[in-house]
Amino acid sequence: MEAYRQEIILGAVFLYMAFCIVTGIWAMRRTKNSSDFFMAGRSLGPIVVSLALFSSTLSGFGFVGGPGLVYSIGVSSFWMVVISSSGYAIGFFLVAKRIRMIAELRDCISLPDIVAARYNSEAVRFLMAVTIVLGVMGYLATQILAMAVVMQAILSGTQMFAEISLVSCVVISSAVLIFYCVTGGIIASVYTDVVQGSIMVVAGGLILITATAVFDGGMQEATSIILANDSEAIMPFGSAGIMASLGWFFVFGLGLAGQPHLITKMMMNKEMADNRTIFPMSLFGYVMAALLWISIGVVMRAAAIDGVIDPLQSPDDAASVFLSLFANPLLAGVVFAGLFAAIMSTSDAFLNIGTAAIIHDIPKAINGKSVDNELFWARVVTVLLAAVAASFALYSYYLDATLVALLGAFGWATFAASIFPVVAIGLNWKGATVPGAIAAIISALVINFSVQLAGISIPYGISGGLVAFITSLILFIGVSAVTKKPNIGADIEQLLDI
Amino acid sequence: MSNKLISLIFALCLLLGALLVAIMMAEDVVNSGGVAHPDIAGMTVGGDGELRLKHIGRYAFLFQSLLLLLIICLCILGVSPRYRTPPFYGYMAGCYSLMLFIWWQMYFGHQQFMQTGQLSYFMGFPTPTAWQMYGTWFGAIPLMLLYSLGFRKFIYTQADDEAFTALLTEHKSPTSP
Repeated sequence: MEAYRQEIILGAVFLYMAFCIVTGIWAMRRTKNSSDFFMAGRSLGPIVVSLALFSSTLSGFGFVGGPGLVYSIGVSSFWMVVISSSGYAIGFFLVAKRIRMIAELRDCISLPDIVAARYNSEAVRFLMAVTIVLGVMGYLATQILAMAVVMQAILSGTQMFAEISLVSCVVISSAVLIFYCVTGGIIASVYTDVVQGSIMVVAGGLILITATAVFDGGMQEATSIILANDSEAIMPFGSAGIMASLGWFFVFGLGLAGQPHLITKMMMNKEMADNRTIFPMSLFGYVMAALLWISIGVVMRAAAIDGVIDPLQSPDDAASVFLSLFANPLLAGVVFAGLFAAIMSTSDAFLNIGTAAIIHDIPKAINGKSVDNELFWARVVTVLLAAVAASFALYSYYLDATLVALLGAFGWATFAASIFPVVAIGLNWKGATVPGAIAAIISALVINFSVQLAGISIPYGISGGLVAFITSLILFIGVSAVTKKPNIGADIEQLLDI
Repeated sequence: MSNKLISLIFALCLLLGALLVAIMMAEDVVNSGGVAHPDIAGMTVGGDGELRLKHIGRYAFLFQSLLLLLIICLCILGVSPRYRTPPFYGYMAGCYSLMLFIWWQMYFGHQQFMQTGQLSYFMGFPTPTAWQMYGTWFGAIPLMLLYSLGFRKFIYTQADDEAFTALLTEHKSPTSP
């Protein structure tokens, strides 16, 4: 079996891509209008929503970037993961109920629709839509690049495709992504998420078992090796230090309820009461999948220190080297398929919300109505958006990484700072106002952009995202307190009392 | 009560902001954000842990303590005021106490190791790190239990369902907003 490792991995990835294509065709038959395309007709069961929710949270970052961070900075990066229980709690307590209610009451198909209804403001809708489009471009470009790089790494290990170019890999992987997104919209997206989530749960557990077997003394031996080399790396705050760690706790914890690709999934469940089971199921899935992040990173750092492996050329190689050296070929195949699934899952979620922002929300904010023949234009824009993002990805890779890095700053932290106050707090506080919402969104964008553009380094590892988030929270509540409440509809007024 | 709660949340955000400013203005140390591993490219080490916390340790401890309180307050905000009964507040106080205890064990366990060099392990990790990893994850489980098991009592009751159904019947617009 070892002799066929690359072929097994390739086969698993090919199987998953074939599944995506079949799912796209199946979902196309269920997609009759834009509500189906963007919201799955608000008809999803709890298991589907649970798996979709947590698998959208963990993109390829959970497989590649996460283990790489643990290799690089030790326990510091754990804070991005262990906050998940608190983060999900905040998301469900603050967002799940009211977003679902507003979505049904006002037939909302996007997050900007929700805020437009809540604040009775097209300005807030417009700003929210622009924030989403900017963030989507950055996220999509990095995800498409990651997908292509991984595909190239897998294919170049075979004889037939040893010389395949990155451009070809971008084309192949994007083609599959575009196909099932265009045909099946969010329905295809969530059902591929179901498979991806299942793979991640299984893979997480199996990887943990594999990782603990690398050293005879198990995980304790691995952590002891790290401790002897540099105690801080394995102590609670890791190499990056206490404020970097707590900053991630803040941004990834509270920020979960500000991620548009996650909270829009809270609009899709069929029954409100399903939230009581979606919460624990999502959390369980996330925890299982996160075991992969932690166990690979710890073991690879210890292995490099102890001389079991050569130091990695790049920390992001941690997962792929681990799989090639320590994992059974079948497990490696499953995990690589899971990696692809994770990247595609996040990409399709972003494609969907980005398309909604472009053809539904921005026209509504400017002209008062969405485009005609929404479903047709949704499909067209999905293709265009993916093509533009793929072009950005290749441009950044070959010519100039600045633009994608800049848009990449519109990552988790910017969504967190701009969306959390407006949605999570705004849905639960009648005193929230339009000027407060505008102040929060603009301050989040300006601070994150400025820190990235100017290359500002803040002492003690404090991130620009943390500064932006606290600032936007203060401005949202402070400005709302001194400005006039919007004239919202009587139905929204009543809903906020439920 | 809702106005008091949002005022408390606002005050917490201001305090967190003030602490952040205090930390940014504190004397920086060379390894505050880690330094490159002397032998292995791509790896960062923390170095002297006591030095890193010398000027900001108490601010950071207070920061996290207030952040945990903010998390609890935000969860309370998501519960309708009419369901925020004394037992509910008691339960949330208990959740905060648990989270604070876990944070205390983590932070002062780390302090103790730096001072004495003595260490024990729990489930594969040094005990302070075990508090961080397992403790932080499980510390919010009581919140999940309240949400899931108390859903029909605190989150979305039968009365809420009837009120929402009545709202839909009365106001539902045939077109999107």
